[in-house]
Amino acid sequence: MRKLLKRPDLGIIIGCLFIFALFTLYDPAQWFNWGTVSNIGEYTAILGLLAIGQSFVVLIREIDLSVGSVYGIVGIAFVGLENNNVSDVLAFVLAMLLALLVGLVNAALVIRGKLSSMIVTLGGLFFYRGLIYIITHGAVTGVPQAVRQNWFAQLLGGHSLRIQNGFLLLLILGFLCAVTLHETRFGNHLLALGGDPASAESRGVPLGKVRTIAFALCSLFAGLSAIVTLTNDPETSVSLGTGMELEAIAAVVVGGTLLTGGRGTMLGTILGSFFLTAVRSEIIALGAPPSWYVSFVGIALLTLVTINTLLLKRLRISG
Amino acid sequence: MITGSDGQSRPAGSPKKPLISIKNVGLSYGNFQALTDVSVDFYQGELVGLVGDNGAGKTTLIRIISGIIPPTSGEVYFDGERIIKFHPKKAIDLGLECIQQAIGLCDNLSVGRNYFLGREPVRRILGLPFLDKKKIREASAKVVHDFGLRDSVDVDDEIALLSGGEKQTFKIARAVTFRNRVIIMDEPTNHLSVRERTRVNELAVQLKQQGLLVIYITHDIFQIHRIADRIVILENGRKVTDVPRDAMSAEALEGIIRDGSRTSTKEPKVS
Repeated sequence: MRKLLKRPDLGIIIGCLFIFALFTLYDPAQWFNWGTVSNIGEYTAILGLLAIGQSFVVLIREIDLSVGSVYGIVGIAFVGLENNNVSDVLAFVLAMLLALLVGLVNAALVIRGKLSSMIVTLGGLFFYRGLIYIITHGAVTGVPQAVRQNWFAQLLGGHSLRIQNGFLLLLILGFLCAVTLHETRFGNHLLALGGDPASAESRGVPLGKVRTIAFALCSLFAGLSAIVTLTNDPETSVSLGTGMELEAIAAVVVGGTLLTGGRGTMLGTILGSFFLTAVRSEIIALGAPPSWYVSFVGIALLTLVTINTLLLKRLRISG
Repeated sequence: MITGSDGQSRPAGSPKKPLISIKNVGLSYGNFQALTDVSVDFYQGELVGLVGDNGAGKTTLIRIISGIIPPTSGEVYFDGERIIKFHPKKAIDLGLECIQQAIGLCDNLSVGRNYFLGREPVRRILGLPFLDKKKIREASAKVVHDFGLRDSVDVDDEIALLSGGEKQTFKIARAVTFRNRVIIMDEPTNHLSVRERTRVNELAVQLKQQGLLVIYITHDIFQIHRIADRIVILENGRKVTDVPRDAMSAEALEGIIRDGSRTSTKEPKVS
């Protein structure tokens, strides 16, 4: 029991149970509709993958504002390569290499350039978005019909037992990341760096290496999320991913990860993504204008962070 | 007491060869001379008090010994071997550990994870390395017990729950159990209660008795005079005194520090 109370993601676990009960009582017909579930699953996967990557960066006291634009440019590179008759697997590999490159550049600027990650990735947010406009001249075609039918696109964008493969991918990767975070040396170093960089360094933790991997993972997850999106929903535009960085950060924070680093879980991040997605879907289903969602994210963020802070304080006092 | 050819004293019975030897070391930051021509030897099994006012150069000297900064002039020898490349990792590998008040423990990690931070044991499952949590728990629980921390301390608890004195004791315990040869304590008793201070000082003496070299930095001459074998006083970057504990009273030593700071001009703080 004491262990459960100490979890940083306790707030979002309660939050998810709450909305689940609320929607079940309030709007069961819509809530248990397979179409709704499917939609929520799809978008939770997209947001969740972005947010898992972001979690690694937030856990080390940094932030990556470029993920929305990275999501856009990797997605558009993927589509562009496929439209130029590059095989889908190769297109995937090349697009992911682009994501990796962006992550490494971010890390290098933060570590070697000694710049704040907020500045570096804010620059990235504008730079990569601008690059999309320059390369595409504003016109983007979707994933070709033929490509959508073959096994690779189906693997990422299809269904297994009526469940979206993207959602299954989120669960698998989320589990692997959680194990990495809590059961490996790298995870321990990452948490130590997030908790107290000077102390971690004094114990011989290779800070530069850990930071580099965190930024690389963040960009890779953003790229993967874009590709999952496009294999699912092939229509796209130059604004692909705009604003997604803030949603991903909101999901991470709502999920109980501290922006000050060192405390958080992957389960919380996934539940945070589910929470925001489910409520968005329900707000629309109830007939409210979709724009209300934006305000809702703000309210949810403040409420859950307040709950988390109160829980943390109580925990500190009770020991 | 033997007086070496270099005019420095060392405790009788200790091996002739110093473990750490500092020869004519100087360090300047731009125009500011933080250390000037400092020579001092440290022997195994010795507890040396490194004393001086703020800005005397104590911390600068320790930063050189711990490999954080290279000196601008002079030589440093460890176990007879001259140190050419200065790097913290190298100092750690040589068995030197510096215990500082504010650094060394990550508050968000458990006691066990802090104990092994940087040298986590792993076990392989399907060829992949995972943290060996059982070993982490058992080894750290043993240390918590051996060093007389509260029985209520659970090694799975976050280290933030420990008191200042317990944290300090834990850091010392960690330094000892990883078979270090040199323990440097940088103002280890600041902000500690009287009882905790006594405990930390007892530990420093025990370490020395186990054959380690303990360099204890403080500006409290009365406290260190009770436990040290030898006292080295730095003043404005120069070594002004290097005497066995019995050779001078704490009052006399305090006089040296006091008079030194009276005659000195104000220098920017570097320590």
